[in-house]
Amino acid sequence: MLRAFFLVLVFFVRPVMAQDFPVRIAHAFGTAIIPERPVRVVSLSFIGHDFLLALGVRPVALRKWYGDYPYGVWPWGQEALGEARPTVMQGEIDVEAIAAIKPDLIVGQWSGMTQSDYRLLSQIAPTIAHRAEWGPYGAPWQGMLRTLGAATGRQDRAAAEIACLEARFAELRAGHPDWQGASAAMVWAGSTGAYTSRDIRGRLLRDLGFVVPAAIDARGGVNVTYVRIPPEDLSPIDVDALIWLDAGGAVERLNGLPLRNTMRAYAQGREIYSDLMLSAALSHSSPLSLEYALDRLEPLLEAAMDGDPATVVATSEQAGILSMEAGHEQ
Amino acid sequence: MSSNLPAHIHVGADRRLFVLLASFAGVMLLAVLALRLGYRPVTWGDVGRAFIAYDPTFPEQIVIREIRLPRLIAALLVGAGLGIAGALIQGMTRNPLADPGLLGVNAGAAVGVIGASFLFGMTAPGQYVWMALGGGAIGAVAVFALGGGGHASPVRLLLAGAALTAFFLAVIRGLVLMSRQSLETYRFWVLGGLDDVSIGAIAVLWPFFFAGAVCALIAATLIDALALGEEAARGLGVNVAVAKLVAMLAIVQLSASTVALAGPVAFIGLIVPHMARTVMRQDMLWLAPCAGLFGAGLMILADLVGRSAVFGGTMQAGVISALIGGPILILLVFRTGGRRL
Repeated sequence: MLRAFFLVLVFFVRPVMAQDFPVRIAHAFGTAIIPERPVRVVSLSFIGHDFLLALGVRPVALRKWYGDYPYGVWPWGQEALGEARPTVMQGEIDVEAIAAIKPDLIVGQWSGMTQSDYRLLSQIAPTIAHRAEWGPYGAPWQGMLRTLGAATGRQDRAAAEIACLEARFAELRAGHPDWQGASAAMVWAGSTGAYTSRDIRGRLLRDLGFVVPAAIDARGGVNVTYVRIPPEDLSPIDVDALIWLDAGGAVERLNGLPLRNTMRAYAQGREIYSDLMLSAALSHSSPLSLEYALDRLEPLLEAAMDGDPATVVATSEQAGILSMEAGHEQ
Repeated sequence: MSSNLPAHIHVGADRRLFVLLASFAGVMLLAVLALRLGYRPVTWGDVGRAFIAYDPTFPEQIVIREIRLPRLIAALLVGAGLGIAGALIQGMTRNPLADPGLLGVNAGAAVGVIGASFLFGMTAPGQYVWMALGGGAIGAVAVFALGGGGHASPVRLLLAGAALTAFFLAVIRGLVLMSRQSLETYRFWVLGGLDDVSIGAIAVLWPFFFAGAVCALIAATLIDALALGEEAARGLGVNVAVAKLVAMLAIVQLSASTVALAGPVAFIGLIVPHMARTVMRQDMLWLAPCAGLFGAGLMILADLVGRSAVFGGTMQAGVISALIGGPILILLVFRTGGRRL
């Protein structure tokens, strides 16, 4: 509804203008000069295709991250993908395959692209890597969308999407004063590793008003946004809202994790088990997945943040990671 | 009997017994320290209470009982298993660079683990233990068959191991590319470590370690004869094919159960026999137990260092064992010029 309002604002109140090319975009390995509005875009970022689709750009080739969905595009992106049939790339960056596609723009802001990859790719087409200050996997979604908007001549659309989503975040913050300044963490349940506040998942928590504990950030850096937590001391992740990310295989590990049941987050029912779909939506943190992620996360956060184990977090109960006592109280 | 032996052998035997007893005491000391030291500070009182009056509401006691104790037992089994298997394979192939991993056991077990994750969605070590064990055994049997069975020459065995390992690794890469869950499991497992070791997995695997150690002792008596050369061994009345089979059985049981428990732990199987050889010489019946004790000590030490605050409490023991083992190996090579086997 809000989204529609902003889109109307952009497309009707202000007429669409052809943006000025060439566009120059600076990044960690140099400056990409895009001579004219690109039509054959190759997306190397593991989540970048979502961002392009949100702008109405259908990439000719994309990099599949994970999941069993057609063309590597998760359900929230399928509508925007429409009838497009992009080439799906997997694994390492294959420069020859990319050259064969004859792109006129290569984007990889969340791709782990190296300097030597860039040297080759930039000879094929203008190439946009991550920005130095964000690191390979530390870019905020707003920044990535804005860059793609500029590179594809859709700045206004990008600005509208950002305004629309930021309005949603503002609304959520305003509606939940108890979230503001509270501690929260997203933790990969498969090996007990937390995402720092620079990571796209940490940034999402910050956008909601939460704070990622300094004990987690202290273990990371610009290029290290995922840090392992020592099994002998889980205190860095004993937060007001603890979100366990999983691809579906870690429930047994969580239930056997020593010290977990000594955590305040466990005793007070502040843990949120994030299933495959929600974890993927949070990990993509794209303009397309965020709407879905926020729809699902809001009630779960509300149930977790009241600090009362009697109000169970629905996903945690379904996964079977709650303590016996909480189960009995039901 | 001792009166019939030349004096220097008698003295040597005494020294070897002393080294063996001293190493045993050293391992025990390390074991106690492994319970006491770690990322979370605990007191001697906590250690005592964790065993005498365990109260699972105290984090200190949970850390000792549920994290440090299983890791300690696993480190003992894994280190000893790799040390013994390494001594046997180096003696059997008469190759100082031989390592249990060269027989295709590690790669076979890796295929088992990835297969368990890819086909059955198993991601917990307790679940994929059997697949790892089976994969390791299949890998070793295939190498043994390709290497010429009972008449295998050492070189042919190692070549078969290298070829099969390359093939298995290609299979693994393919599977890992297709499934993120498999990648997650593999990425973690391949470093080799004791992070997710559970009492359940130890309970499943310890009989294999025990049987492997027994086979190793039997094989040790036969391998000493093999070291003289196969013709000479036959002359002494040793059935060469049986000797190799028993040794292979020991190596496969020890290394497959090691890989199942802790993943492919680097270096211990390679360097520990060299360390043991500096004090035990060639006599396999002494060398194998000594390598077992040295391996256990090194693995406990590696895990102790890995989970200390220096590495943020999260470094895998497999990484540390390679960090400690690399320099030791270089030192040994420089000092002895690569002792002949």
